[in-house]
Amino acid sequence: MSLFGRLMRDRAAAIGTLIIGVLVLVAIFAPWLAPYPEDVAAFHLTDRLQPPSAEHWFGTDRMGSDVFSRILFGARITITIAVIAVGVSVAIGVPIGLVAGYYGRFTGGVLMRTSDVFLAVPQIVLAIAIAQTLGPSVENVILALSLTYWPFWARLVYAETRALKGQTFVEAAQALGASDLRVMVLHILPNTLSAIIVRTSIGMGATILTAAALGFLGLGAPPPAPEWGRTISEAREFLPEAWWYAAAPGLAIFLVVMGFNLLGDGLRDVLDPKLRKGR
Amino acid sequence: MRYTAIAFASALALGVPAAVEAQSRYVHANNSAYDTLDPHTVFDVARVATRLNFYDGLYRWVDNPPELIPWLATEHTVSEDGLTWTFTLRDDVAFHDGTMMTAEDVVYSMERMLALASGAGALFQPMLEPGATQAVDEHTVSFTLKEPSAIFASLVPDILVVNSALLKENEVDDDWGQAYLTDNVAGSGSYILQRYDPAIGFIGERNADHFAGWGERYYDEIEFRTVLETNTRIQGLMRGDYQGLDGYLAPDQVKRLRSDEDVQILEEESMRVYHIAMHNGRPPLDDLNFRMAMNHAFDYEGYINAIMQGTVVRNPTIVPGNLWGVPDVAGYEFDLEKAQEYLDAYKAEHGDDIRTLNIGTLAGFAETEQAAALMQNGLAQLGIDVEIASAPWPVISSNMRNPETMPDMVPYWKSTYYADPNNWIGEQYGSRYAPTRNVSDYHNAEVDKRLEEALLTTDQEERDRLYKEAGQIVYDDAAGIWIYNTKWYGPYADSVEGIRFSPVGNGQDMRWAYPAEE
Repeated sequence: MSLFGRLMRDRAAAIGTLIIGVLVLVAIFAPWLAPYPEDVAAFHLTDRLQPPSAEHWFGTDRMGSDVFSRILFGARITITIAVIAVGVSVAIGVPIGLVAGYYGRFTGGVLMRTSDVFLAVPQIVLAIAIAQTLGPSVENVILALSLTYWPFWARLVYAETRALKGQTFVEAAQALGASDLRVMVLHILPNTLSAIIVRTSIGMGATILTAAALGFLGLGAPPPAPEWGRTISEAREFLPEAWWYAAAPGLAIFLVVMGFNLLGDGLRDVLDPKLRKGR
Repeated sequence: MRYTAIAFASALALGVPAAVEAQSRYVHANNSAYDTLDPHTVFDVARVATRLNFYDGLYRWVDNPPELIPWLATEHTVSEDGLTWTFTLRDDVAFHDGTMMTAEDVVYSMERMLALASGAGALFQPMLEPGATQAVDEHTVSFTLKEPSAIFASLVPDILVVNSALLKENEVDDDWGQAYLTDNVAGSGSYILQRYDPAIGFIGERNADHFAGWGERYYDEIEFRTVLETNTRIQGLMRGDYQGLDGYLAPDQVKRLRSDEDVQILEEESMRVYHIAMHNGRPPLDDLNFRMAMNHAFDYEGYINAIMQGTVVRNPTIVPGNLWGVPDVAGYEFDLEKAQEYLDAYKAEHGDDIRTLNIGTLAGFAETEQAAALMQNGLAQLGIDVEIASAPWPVISSNMRNPETMPDMVPYWKSTYYADPNNWIGEQYGSRYAPTRNVSDYHNAEVDKRLEEALLTTDQEERDRLYKEAGQIVYDDAAGIWIYNTKWYGPYADSVEGIRFSPVGNGQDMRWAYPAEE
């Protein structure tokens, strides 16, 4: 059975996939799906803080803009941040883990101690410090998240590489005269892929959560970008009366993070039989 | 809880019988931090409570419209040339450590203000030389001004007197005791410092021996706590954790508080002009056409009627409309077509490239964020990009005082420190106050001439005319974006009585307030 087929048999993973699928579609088609696409930037001050209705599914915000439309556009920012930040983290972390695990001893020690330094500081604190220093913007959030997130992949790949290094197929490749680079990229890396994929899916959820926290603290995309975290921050002041204002972006973050976590769990079950949960 | 324990412990230490009446306590939630207790280095409304409650000035502002009453000084005389002001001091004023106040303390305080040149010192600097304050005798002090001043009398309450003996003991490298006064009090005020933490706020205990005496009822202890989150302040008041909040909440919040039966909202006419300060010294805002475009790109009506829900009135200049010396102007209107015309005129002269403008907003003050968003929206329609960055008030206010770090625009309030047009137009647009109070880097010789003249003459009609003319020029120069003049909506617990509101200090002079009888 195909990988996708196996994934779909797991109910949790199927739900996760569905949520992520919807998120991606929403992000791509936001301008067509949003009932008031102009409300990303436009204000209608006379319609401030209207409760949810047929016209405004999630109500309106403090400037009279349609919350639902803004949430849909916010998905774009969220996806962009998550994909790029995680992508960069993987691009940094995987080679470092691979090299450190393969060469061990001195090189490995230096690289892994460096990643330990990053891991020693809570990710969110480090990300806040970096984003605050660089100033609020999407690019800086991505940078801050990438710089703080790579050690997770480095450690993972490091451990896998160490385990694989002593395996017969690696020794065979080496005995045949394959270069270190060839062994690492063509023989070891493919065998660590499933672990990387699982970690990446779960990492996406965590990254989105951290990005939202940065947005909440005013370090994310500057206004008027409809960033979810900042929308919640703006909405605090109108709680509990205008509950929809904070609830809508909160729900969006909740669903997306849950989606990635469910997908990650599902992928682990499918890709990594060793870790398959007992049932 | 911890504070109750402390109060209890101190009551025990003082040997007070345990059976005494419960201590009355007032807790105020403030929307920005008390980063220093020094009365001479800050001069804003956000941190006015430390100055009013720990220190005394020669005179004091009370009531609305604000009125001066004798305080540390009982009376004063002015020499015929208008230069020498002689104050008779009370002889029964004791500082918190028991030292009696003398004229020497007043001299030290004034010299300290002039030397530090921040806070109210910046207002005295242009009129007083160091050494021009003399102790005539133990209880008489004289100030010899460089030139006659129409506003010196209204600034007298800001001569807050510090305990010079105590400060001299604690001076480090001739710092005028700055390091010491950051987290200590050397005053004679109505409350004595109990506890201070820049992250939390301060607690003061009633100074029972204060020279002004006390009414029948009073608060034994006051606490001013920093609570940046508006919602936490509102809910805290409704829950009874706090007894009072800052009086300039957004109408959405006031509406919420009104619906709570344990909360009262005191209403007073005030003078607090909301405006967007613009950096007139930095391109492209140094160009009149560009500033005119800015002035026509802000949706005044939407802001006042929708966001402020009509609780404030349009104020077309920097001087509050309910004061004198206000030019008769209609006020700029939100008109993007007109804005575009001005912008085109600008572009014809300076080219099409317009850099991204930045607006600084005050963290915790949603009104500033909403004004910035509205401005950003208006400018986006003109094809101008705007970046908004938020920072806490102590940070942004120090950035504003330096033309290098002042953002292009900052929406904020100009409150009352003394009821004279100079408080608004003089300080905001007069060259003599740049850059500490005139944060706009605005310099116009015609305006300066009138403002200076108005400071010298005591002829009221003449002053009225001068301020009107200066106001007209500043208006024609579109030096700022002036939005509204506000009312004060003081939110207090129902149990609070006797709040004595004055536009100067906004009712935070706690010696007049007391808890209602059970």
